[in-house]
Amino acid sequence: MCDQTFVAVTFGPCDSCSKASPLMNIYIKNEPINYCSFCVEMMACQGLQKGETLASLKRECDNLKKKLEEERGKLNDVELHQVAEKTEVLGALSVKTRRVLKGHGNKVLCMDWCKDRRRLVSSSQDGKVIVWDAFTLNKEHGITLPCTWVMACAYAPSGCAVACGGLDNKCSVVPLSLDKTENLAAKKKSVAMHTNYVSGCTFTNSDMQLLTCSGDGTCALWDVESGQLLQSFHGHTADVLSLDLAPSETGNTFVSGGCDKKANVWDMRSGQNIQSFESHESDINCVKYYPSGDAFASASDDATCRFYDLRADREVAVYQKDSIIFGASTVDFSLSGRLLFAGYNDYTINAWDVLKGTRVSVLFGHENRISRVRVSPDGTALCSASWDNTLRIWA
Amino acid sequence: MQNLLCTNPSFSPVLIHNFSLLSFIYSVALPRMSSKAHSSNNIAHARRTVQQLRIEASIERIKVSKASADLMNYCSEHARNDPLLMGIPASDNPFKDKKPCTIL
Repeated sequence: MCDQTFVAVTFGPCDSCSKASPLMNIYIKNEPINYCSFCVEMMACQGLQKGETLASLKRECDNLKKKLEEERGKLNDVELHQVAEKTEVLGALSVKTRRVLKGHGNKVLCMDWCKDRRRLVSSSQDGKVIVWDAFTLNKEHGITLPCTWVMACAYAPSGCAVACGGLDNKCSVVPLSLDKTENLAAKKKSVAMHTNYVSGCTFTNSDMQLLTCSGDGTCALWDVESGQLLQSFHGHTADVLSLDLAPSETGNTFVSGGCDKKANVWDMRSGQNIQSFESHESDINCVKYYPSGDAFASASDDATCRFYDLRADREVAVYQKDSIIFGASTVDFSLSGRLLFAGYNDYTINAWDVLKGTRVSVLFGHENRISRVRVSPDGTALCSASWDNTLRIWA
Repeated sequence: MQNLLCTNPSFSPVLIHNFSLLSFIYSVALPRMSSKAHSSNNIAHARRTVQQLRIEASIERIKVSKASADLMNYCSEHARNDPLLMGIPASDNPFKDKKPCTIL
């Protein structure tokens, strides 16, 4: 069980006792209530006096879970791969390594593409964050962070900044300047503060807001300029390892997956957990939305990748093979969503046919486990980052 | 953080099983750790769980057949724009090596 220390969102007068103290933001009947932790306990004890015992609550909990399973089961009239039998079978992929990006001194843990489709940022265990030009293999910027294990990095939508974080429990934003002699590490600004390692970060639709997830079991939305916490998302009962923002412009949801084997879908404005999926048998290492925003895929240590549909509220496909016994650490969809690329701990990348559930191709080349796989924004190439200190571009 | 400890792939399958066994033991051991001092915490936690489940049980769902049909439609509509799926000529792909041009 992780250290789920509460990041105090607000400090101020409690709604019930009017004493100034760190407030717990909880929701009762969708109404936000700001009570200090003492008053929350008092409220819980009052609930007990009304005849609600722990046992009765547990019973209601179990009944609701059963009802949820029944409701979901009623709509499972056909499997995705049965519906997809009409579509044509995909030919083998003619995808090869086109570029090998060497330069990191240690395991590459994360990478992200820039919206201009040619730059990418990668971070590694030795604390270095490098911005590359993928066409020319040029290293455009190099930032050295004081911490090791930079597990998360993201490119800002404008292309003018990168965010990175890891074992330092922070996520920092570094503005990229055109002046090559400038020391970028000096302009680094700490935005997110968690109580455990930062495992994933992404900018929202603008450079102004940053969404992070952490080993302390929470996700959080931050304002980059002021460093203020705008919203925190509580619900995971173990480390959160990955998150992904919904693709649509108006969408305000994101999905997160963690060591509690659950993938949760959250509403960014209210902080509410909208949907929860628990069918993996081990830690979920990565989650990624389908390009239409109606579904998402997850990769897990149980050697399977699973595909969940949000409107049907259930798992609709499992991508597994008896010959695959190593955990999957990362997934990404191709532009149309027909292909799912998954990186595994057995040093390979498998390409799956999303609709039919079959494996289309295996990409060999890396010499250690794959940590991250990302398709470029225009879909022309796939970049993979690995513990063998290199990144490869496949096209 | 467990996956960070597996460095040698030949040991990984055994380690994965051990960790899942450990997490099972851990999850079973947790309820026994609660004492009277934590009982109000448990009630608050149970109430939150019940509320969360009520919200989840009340959302609107559609049939898997309809959801699958929509996914298939999306795929077929966008398939021709997908370079990795369809393959684009080497001249359009900046990563593919172009044929050397011969100067006559």
